[in-house]
Amino acid sequence: MRLCAPFAGALVIAALVAGLGGCSPGESRVVQGNREGVLYLGNGTEPQSLDPHVLSSSPDARIAGAIHEPLIMYNPYDLSTEPGVAQRWEFSEDGTEITFYLNPDARFSNGDPITAEDFRWSWMRAITPEMGNLLVEVFYGIRNAQAYSKGEIDDPEAVGIRVIDPHTLRVELAFPDPFALLNFAYVYMAPVHRATIEAHGAMTDRYSPWTKPENFVGNGPFTLEDWKMQRFVKVKRNPYYWDTNNVALNAMVFRPIESATTEEKMFRSGQLHSAAMVPNNKVKGYREQPDTPMVEGPYMGSYYYLLNTDRPPLDNLSVRRALAMAVDRQTLASTVLQDTVLPSANYVALGMPDYEHPKVLEFNPTEARRLLAEAGFPNGEGWPPIALNYNTSENHRSVAVAVQQMWKQHLNVDVSLANQEWKVYLDTIDNRDYQIARMGWIGDIAPSAFLDRMVSDGPTNRSGFSNAVFDDIIFNKIRPEKDKSKIMALYTEAERILLEETPLIPIYSYKVKRLTQPSVKGLPSNQTGYINYKYVELDPDAPAWTWQTLDP
Amino acid sequence: MNTEMLSDIADAEEGTSLWKDAWLRLRKNRLAIIGLCILLACIVLALLTPLIAPYAYDAQDLDLGATPPSAAHWLGTDIFGRDMLTQILYGGRISLAVGFIATAVALVIGITWGAIAGYAGGRVDAVMMRLVDILYALPFMIFIILLMVVFGRNLLLLFLAIGAVEWLTMARIMRGQVQSLRQQEFVEAAISLGLSPGAIIRRHLIPNALGPIIVYTTLTIPSVMLLEAFLSFLGLGVQPPQTSWGLLISYGAETMEEYPWLLIFPGLALTVTLFSLNFLGDGLRDALDVRGSKD
Repeated sequence: MRLCAPFAGALVIAALVAGLGGCSPGESRVVQGNREGVLYLGNGTEPQSLDPHVLSSSPDARIAGAIHEPLIMYNPYDLSTEPGVAQRWEFSEDGTEITFYLNPDARFSNGDPITAEDFRWSWMRAITPEMGNLLVEVFYGIRNAQAYSKGEIDDPEAVGIRVIDPHTLRVELAFPDPFALLNFAYVYMAPVHRATIEAHGAMTDRYSPWTKPENFVGNGPFTLEDWKMQRFVKVKRNPYYWDTNNVALNAMVFRPIESATTEEKMFRSGQLHSAAMVPNNKVKGYREQPDTPMVEGPYMGSYYYLLNTDRPPLDNLSVRRALAMAVDRQTLASTVLQDTVLPSANYVALGMPDYEHPKVLEFNPTEARRLLAEAGFPNGEGWPPIALNYNTSENHRSVAVAVQQMWKQHLNVDVSLANQEWKVYLDTIDNRDYQIARMGWIGDIAPSAFLDRMVSDGPTNRSGFSNAVFDDIIFNKIRPEKDKSKIMALYTEAERILLEETPLIPIYSYKVKRLTQPSVKGLPSNQTGYINYKYVELDPDAPAWTWQTLDP
Repeated sequence: MNTEMLSDIADAEEGTSLWKDAWLRLRKNRLAIIGLCILLACIVLALLTPLIAPYAYDAQDLDLGATPPSAAHWLGTDIFGRDMLTQILYGGRISLAVGFIATAVALVIGITWGAIAGYAGGRVDAVMMRLVDILYALPFMIFIILLMVVFGRNLLLLFLAIGAVEWLTMARIMRGQVQSLRQQEFVEAAISLGLSPGAIIRRHLIPNALGPIIVYTTLTIPSVMLLEAFLSFLGLGVQPPQTSWGLLISYGAETMEEYPWLLIFPGLALTVTLFSLNFLGDGLRDALDVRGSKD
């Protein structure tokens, strides 16, 4: 029974290869795709949903980004904003309102025009409490959206979404947020087609058949053509897309591949144009390749250990800081993690534009030992047994094993390890049934995406961190402020307070790693992993990349 | 015939008891003896590990990282710079302990259960074997996970839990054996001599059914070792920095293209142990099977 798993995996791959058909013998999928203008992408897990108000994982969002379009898009090279459904937009004088002017040529994939009312209806659907939208937070920048989503008010008129005319939409903000525009570029804020949704069930049905290929109506540069469970999702060019003349590809095929090792092998054998995951132990080999297909760069995400400040000995600030200062991040990153991450003692991801990172928890074993002694555990004497939890993954285990030993070596304290499957793990975290737990947070190119969630009782603040001075900076100093450089300085101050309280131990900032075939243009790496499929082109004559065996 | 001669014959009978006979036959089987020696060596090494291991089992040297075999590290090091020989020695302690303890648990439960069911027959047999069928239908993972959740993470409990799910096949084999033996004349003779059912099972049925049981035992030990690796992977078994052969192999398999020695050496250790067990089991079966070696 246990032996069956690898064979089952092989069968799935065989089915994938056979199922897509049309590949002449000896020609790899990549070469065929180059000729036909079809992009093959590895895409993590099987999508749970392609409804922008239901989906919550990044593989789902990557597909949704091709078949839905929000008001604003980004240029994938420099992350500057460019028109999506909105042709242009303007902030009001006091920064509390944004007016979006929609493109009159914007249409759904069945030819229906997109109006301001479509946005209002879609967004109200997204924040309806019965919808159970896990990513409803992206709407909180809109006045009263938070209260409405929690059922505290039920008057839709109170929510700050105003239809001025069919092509003008005004959004009243909850506060004058200079980063507010970021939210309107998320695919979670894309419009949905009301008639289609209502034809296939109630507005708030999470698993309605409207996202099936035969029913689907979207507004992205592509539209859904085929979806075979555990095999692939295929999207084809949307002829009604307002900018379809600038879409180079004819179709894209997303394949659910959960294992980084499998994905890398498929890339190497010319079955994928791009792989979003590279196994750590392969990174070195790829770096040494001439004309390497691997691109690397900073990514707006941070990896940290959450400390449960309710449980002794972690209720003691000196203990928390001692643990944080005894982690040699530099060595961890350069050895175990093969420089696939940026070592960081900061919670806000490194590489944040215009932001200064406060230095608080830098590696300092002498200070760490002094703090531990001050807390009543000189040289680890009397240290109670505590556990570090992580969700099952090779990478998390490696980091945990190394950190466990660093604490043993520098502080002489024992910490045991415990791994759990992801869903069980999230339960453990939400019930605060842990002492130390691994966590990661993928933010955006604004410090607010990291720090705003750490306010007392913040919806995703799982740390139990609650600090009046911190809250005061976020709510009373930053929000009324309009000067961007002052805002950045205030965020630095807020992060300093967070790190000094040490409800978490930052370990590293993420790096983007992506394998891309030389035939692919317009799929650059950027700090948020953002893909604008309009930019992607394939060179029809380029060969598939091949691994060069190097002399040792 | 005088009394002296009679006692001579009695002595001769004493000299070739079942066990002594079996040992004599086993000694002639060279592969089985080699297997036995290797197993004994493994056990001695496992017992002496804390004294003979060249490094501390959790000592890391991150700057060293993964290196191939060298004079300082005979079997190389893993990505944390931990000595592989030390890892294998310590991993062997856990793997062998799991293998033997869990199998022993399975043996005790399975043999007792199967023998009673087979000997009693009728309604008792039906009830006992239906219970086995029901337990078979229960997914064993869920059973082990439940045990772990209720009693917490504990290495000894892990051994017992694995044993507790591995006894089912053992019970079936034993029952089948006992059922066929029960019809034979020597059992009827024992019954007519007035032996209690317990004594008949112990003295006549179990020794005669040992052949297939031993073979199955040698198959259970490796499957138990692999089960432990699987459970550890799920986070229910041993946790780093403790390790076992199964875990070392599963980690090694992830990096086999870059650092093949991380897979080869623990794999070799497990393979050699399993081969030894199989040869020994084979030899034991031949040695104990009176009917098969009348020559």
